[in-house]
Amino acid sequence: MKYWLIFRQSIKGVTSNKVRSFLTILGIVIGIGSVIALVSLVSGVKVSISDQINKLGSTNLIISSGKSRFTQPQTSQSGNKQGPMGGQNPQGEFSGGLQAATLTTADFNDLSNKAKQPNIKIVSGSISGTSLINTKDGEQSFQVAGSPTTTFDIQGLKVAKGRLYNNQDLSNNERVAVLGSQAAADAFGADDPIGKTVKIGTQDYQIVGVLSEKTGSSLSDPNSYVYVPYTSLSKDTGVDKFTRITVQVTAEDLVNSTKTEVEKLLLRNHGLTDIKKADFSVMSSQDLLASVSTITGMMSALLGGIAGISLVVGGIGIMNIMLVSVTERTREIGLRKAVGAKTRDILAQFLAEAVILTVIGGALGIVVGFVVGKVIASLVDVTPVITVSSIVLAVSVSAIVGIVFGIYPAIKASMMSPIDALRYE
Amino acid sequence: MEEKKSDVAVEMTVIKKIYKTGDEDTVALGGIDFVVQKGEFVAIMGPSGSGKSTLMHIIGLLDKPTSGTYLLDGQDVSKISKNDQANYRNQEIGFVFQQFNLLSRATVLENVLLPIIYGKKDGATARAKKLIKDVDLEKRINHKSNQLSGGQIQRVAIARALMMSPTIILADEPTGNLDTKNSLDVMKILEKVNKDGATVVLITHEEEIAAHADRIIRLRDGLIVSDEKVAK
Repeated sequence: MKYWLIFRQSIKGVTSNKVRSFLTILGIVIGIGSVIALVSLVSGVKVSISDQINKLGSTNLIISSGKSRFTQPQTSQSGNKQGPMGGQNPQGEFSGGLQAATLTTADFNDLSNKAKQPNIKIVSGSISGTSLINTKDGEQSFQVAGSPTTTFDIQGLKVAKGRLYNNQDLSNNERVAVLGSQAAADAFGADDPIGKTVKIGTQDYQIVGVLSEKTGSSLSDPNSYVYVPYTSLSKDTGVDKFTRITVQVTAEDLVNSTKTEVEKLLLRNHGLTDIKKADFSVMSSQDLLASVSTITGMMSALLGGIAGISLVVGGIGIMNIMLVSVTERTREIGLRKAVGAKTRDILAQFLAEAVILTVIGGALGIVVGFVVGKVIASLVDVTPVITVSSIVLAVSVSAIVGIVFGIYPAIKASMMSPIDALRYE
Repeated sequence: MEEKKSDVAVEMTVIKKIYKTGDEDTVALGGIDFVVQKGEFVAIMGPSGSGKSTLMHIIGLLDKPTSGTYLLDGQDVSKISKNDQANYRNQEIGFVFQQFNLLSRATVLENVLLPIIYGKKDGATARAKKLIKDVDLEKRINHKSNQLSGGQIQRVAIARALMMSPTIILADEPTGNLDTKNSLDVMKILEKVNKDGATVVLITHEEEIAAHADRIIRLRDGLIVSDEKVAK
C-alpha cells in the first residue's frame, strides 16, 4: 500500500514535466527501437532463409567442393578453374566464393550407382561455366550449369517451350542448351530463343528449350541459368569437375546415415582418410538450418551489442537528468522527510521514477522498432519477426538500465539530510 | 505512539548540542531545560545565532542532541535511529515551515494527504477534507498549490501539520514571508487549532507574532534567558 502510494508519487514526478521526460527517454527509445528493429529483421531473414532451405527439400544432401564454409575457415583457392561467377549454382545451395571444383565425374557416377547406393534416389550436379549470348545489347555473359538431366527433376524445373535435353544428348555430347526463363528473357526479350545459339568457349550450343519460371528459393535463382549437358561442357572446356553435387535420399530418416555413406565414399575416391581434411563437404538441410541459426544468432548478438551501446548512452542521459532533478527537488525531499519519509522511501521514489522513464522508453522503443523494422523490411523484402521473447527482453533490459543508472541519483536523494534539504535555496 | 501517554508534550532536560569544527567545539545549545504541556501555545524567540533553529531541529526530530534527554509525549526520543525519527516525525510532529511548504504541482488535498504516504491514519481523506474546511479552503481543495497565495499556502500547511493528529505542531517562522494581513490570518488559524486542542510550538523572531502565544521562551547564546507567560 505504502509503496503503491510512493509509486504514484513517482508517476506524478515523471508526468509533471512531460517534455523533459520525453527528451530524457529518447535515448532509450532509440536504443530499444534499434535493437527491436534489427533483431526482428535478422529473425525475419532467418525465417525466410529457413523457408527456402526447406523448399530445397528435406531429403537433399548437398555436396560442395571445398571445405564447409560454415564450420571451417576457407583455405586459399588458387588455381581456380571455375570461371568468374561462381556466385550461385542451380542446385540452390549457398556458394558465394570461388572454390576449386573437386568433385569428379567418378564421384558422380559412384553416387548414381543404384546398386551400390540403394538409399539415393536421384543425383544431380553441376559444372560451372560461362557463356556468351548475342543479344540486342551486344554480347552478354550468362552463367552456365553443366548438368545431368536429373537437375530438372531435383529442382522441379519444367519445360515451357521446346524440349529438355535428354540422356541421349548427354551420351552423345550434344551441344544443346536449355535456358532458364530469366536468362531467356534477358537475352532475347520477347523473341523466340529456340534455334538460336549460345557460345561457350569456342563452341556454339543450340538452344532447344526454355524453362517455365520457377518461384522458390532466392538463395539461388534457377531461372537465370543456361543449362547444358555436363558431358558436352566438360569435353569442350576441359573442366571435368563438379562444383556441386546434389543427392536426393529416398526417405528423410535415411538422410543422416546416407550422409555418412556419401562421406566415406568420397573420402575413398579422393584417397583421403580424415574427414577433417576432406576437400568437399556434405550438408543436409538440417545442417544448413543449423548454420543459418548460428549465423543469424551471431548477427543478432553483434547488432544487439551495437544497439546496446546506444542503451548505455541513453542510460547515462537518464542518470544525468535524474541528478539534475534530485538537485532541483532538494526542498521537496526535505519536506517529504519532514513529514516522515524514510531513506528507503525517497530511494524507492526516485529509483521508480528512473525505471518508469526507461520502461516507457522501452515500450515506445518497441513500437518505434516495429515500425522501423516494417519500413526497412518493405524495402528489402523481408518479413520482420517480433517475438514475445524480444519484447520481454526489451522491457526487462530497459528496466535494468533504469535501475543501474537510476540508483546513484536515488541514493543521492535518499541520503540528503532533511535539515540541509529544507535549508536549500 | 497510538495513544497519548502523557500530559506533557515536550520535556527537555539539559539538552546540549555541540558541533565540532576542526579543533574547536561550537556550542549551539548549552543545556536547555523546559517543558511544554499538552494544549499549550509556546513561542520560542531569539536573535539569529541564539540556537533557536538548532532547538527547532531537535524538537522536530530532524537532529539529535549531543547530550540530554528529550521526552516527546513521554517517550525518550533523544537517541533513536533515523528510521524511528522518521516515524515520529510522521506521527507526532506537524511541521509548518517558512517557505516551500507544499508540493507545488500537487493539489491542496494531495498536499494535506502527503503524510499518509509514509504512515497510516484511518479515515484519512475525510479527515483531510475536514481540516481543509477548518482552514477555510474548501473552495480550493482541488487547486494546485502554485495557484494559491502565500497566506493560503500556510493554511494548507497547517491543515497538513494536523493531518496525523500529532503531539505538537512545530511552526518555524510561519509568517516570515507574509504581509501583515496574511500573517494575522495565519496566526488566527494557529490560535484556533490550539483552542481546538493542538499543542503549538512557534519559532519566531517577531515580537508581535510571539504575542499570539500563551508563553514565550527566549534564547540567547544557546541558553534560555527567560520563560514567561504572555499577559492577555
